[in-house]
Amino acid sequence: MAIDPNERLKDLTIPEVDFSTAREMQPYLKEPPQMYVGAPGKHGYLRLGFELDSQGKSILRDLDRRVPLIAQQELYFDEEMPEMPCLYILSSGGPNVDGDRYQQDITVRKDAFAWVSTGAATKLAEMKFNYSGMIQNIVLEEGAYLEFMPEPVIPCRHTRFISDTRLCVHPTATVFYSEIYMGGRKYYKDGELFEFDILSVCSHGERPDGRQLFREKFVIDPNVVPVRQLGVMNQFDVFANVIVMTPKDHADRIYEKTPVYIDREKKIAVGITHLPNNAGLLFKVLGMEPGPVKKIVREFCSSVRMEVKGKPVPPEFPWR
Amino acid sequence: MSTPTDSRMAAISRLLQFTDSTFPVGTFSFSNGLETAAFENIVTDAASLHDFVKSQALQAAYSDGVAAIHAFRAFKDNDYEKIVEADKMLMLFKMNDEARLMLKRMGKKFAELSKKLFYNPLISRWLEDIKAERTPGSFPIAQGISYAAAGVTEADLFCAHQYGVINMVLSAALRCVKVSHYDTQKILFELSDNVESLYNEASQMELKDMNAFFPQLDILASLHEKGAMRMFMN
Repeated sequence: MAIDPNERLKDLTIPEVDFSTAREMQPYLKEPPQMYVGAPGKHGYLRLGFELDSQGKSILRDLDRRVPLIAQQELYFDEEMPEMPCLYILSSGGPNVDGDRYQQDITVRKDAFAWVSTGAATKLAEMKFNYSGMIQNIVLEEGAYLEFMPEPVIPCRHTRFISDTRLCVHPTATVFYSEIYMGGRKYYKDGELFEFDILSVCSHGERPDGRQLFREKFVIDPNVVPVRQLGVMNQFDVFANVIVMTPKDHADRIYEKTPVYIDREKKIAVGITHLPNNAGLLFKVLGMEPGPVKKIVREFCSSVRMEVKGKPVPPEFPWR
Repeated sequence: MSTPTDSRMAAISRLLQFTDSTFPVGTFSFSNGLETAAFENIVTDAASLHDFVKSQALQAAYSDGVAAIHAFRAFKDNDYEKIVEADKMLMLFKMNDEARLMLKRMGKKFAELSKKLFYNPLISRWLEDIKAERTPGSFPIAQGISYAAAGVTEADLFCAHQYGVINMVLSAALRCVKVSHYDTQKILFELSDNVESLYNEASQMELKDMNAFFPQLDILASLHEKGAMRMFMN
């Protein structure tokens, strides 16, 4: 059957990433005088599709990308789960800059499993006119399993960043979705903490039939709410937010096993609660440096993997 | 059926009635993690209590406050579907297990009372849907529709909502933090200065704009939820 050229063109078109109607981004809609918003090289797209092959091996079957996003060759380096494809997302453009737009679509098909991270921290550069925006669609089919554990995000002075992450997860599947935000370039010059203009992060979960399960949105504007206020970040510099969508039995056991505490000596605080509609768990960590926070997030991931897959997460590579 | 009250004086009287501690869901003690914050020496005196309550009020303004305003407007427009939409959106947004439970208990109780006070078909229908688990039945929605039925203004509703949030934590504080009635009243008096600017922002927000970034409060609530220490329901 002949392929309609218009259909083929449509397939090659990058989905538009636009947050111009978001209330909190209204002060940041000027066109940058350098490269225009979404210009080639400033409009990254990544599509990853994991599935089981005919031998039952989980592989990266589907890959599409546009600069500056790069997906490395999937590798099978996880010593506890050598059958699991592990993939790093990179950006050839360095940090996110003014007017950048990104979309990342990750699908894990029936019973497949994968681990996805970033090669290094995501730096959000100083912005003067516009903002950097990202849309993510993460879809898990029946029995699928995904660990999405990127390196921390570092917002610089006057960064404006907005993201919208849709997690569409089958009731039998499990996704571990983590984000770590640093307050800024803590050791740059005299220190740069919470000097960004705005971070707006929304993550929402749904079932394949479209039923909405939860919607978490945080807007951090240090000029409106003092980030150092008791109850917000207070004395802490690093924040991790982890969403685990998993069947209720798994969620209940992970919840029971997960310690919550405030360690005044190490300056770490850890909390967990149930997401609405039996969607899973929400895990939060506050700390002073990314290293200890990453370690706690990884240990929590290990607890999730042990519950769902019966295997732990191996220790982190010493160079990470 | 009783129609929304036209008399301003009756409306103000009902505003006072609904926020009074003798009204079954008027004002109550709910620590919102304060008990844990006191135990962990995070809230130790009037100054730290002031900041803790300020964060609580802010967190509520851009979530519960927004949902209450939308329910208020939907009631005025006789738009039942929008009342339910606000109710469901708010519960999707409530990340803390105990907070969801508290909002649902208080919402249902308020709806039962309102049904007897107003004999309004929208309120009766909402209560039926709560009982049938077709809608969560959260407290801010109950506030929105009941205050609209009482004939108060939208700004009055928002004031009552903020007063309720601040007062419930301050009431708990009298029992778990070393503060006096003078301290708590001073905090309530001072934080009232913020209500107008919060209303100006919240009244412009759509339901999808609801947001909260209070990770330390979230972790304190989580510690309380999992902990054995329990003078108050969180």
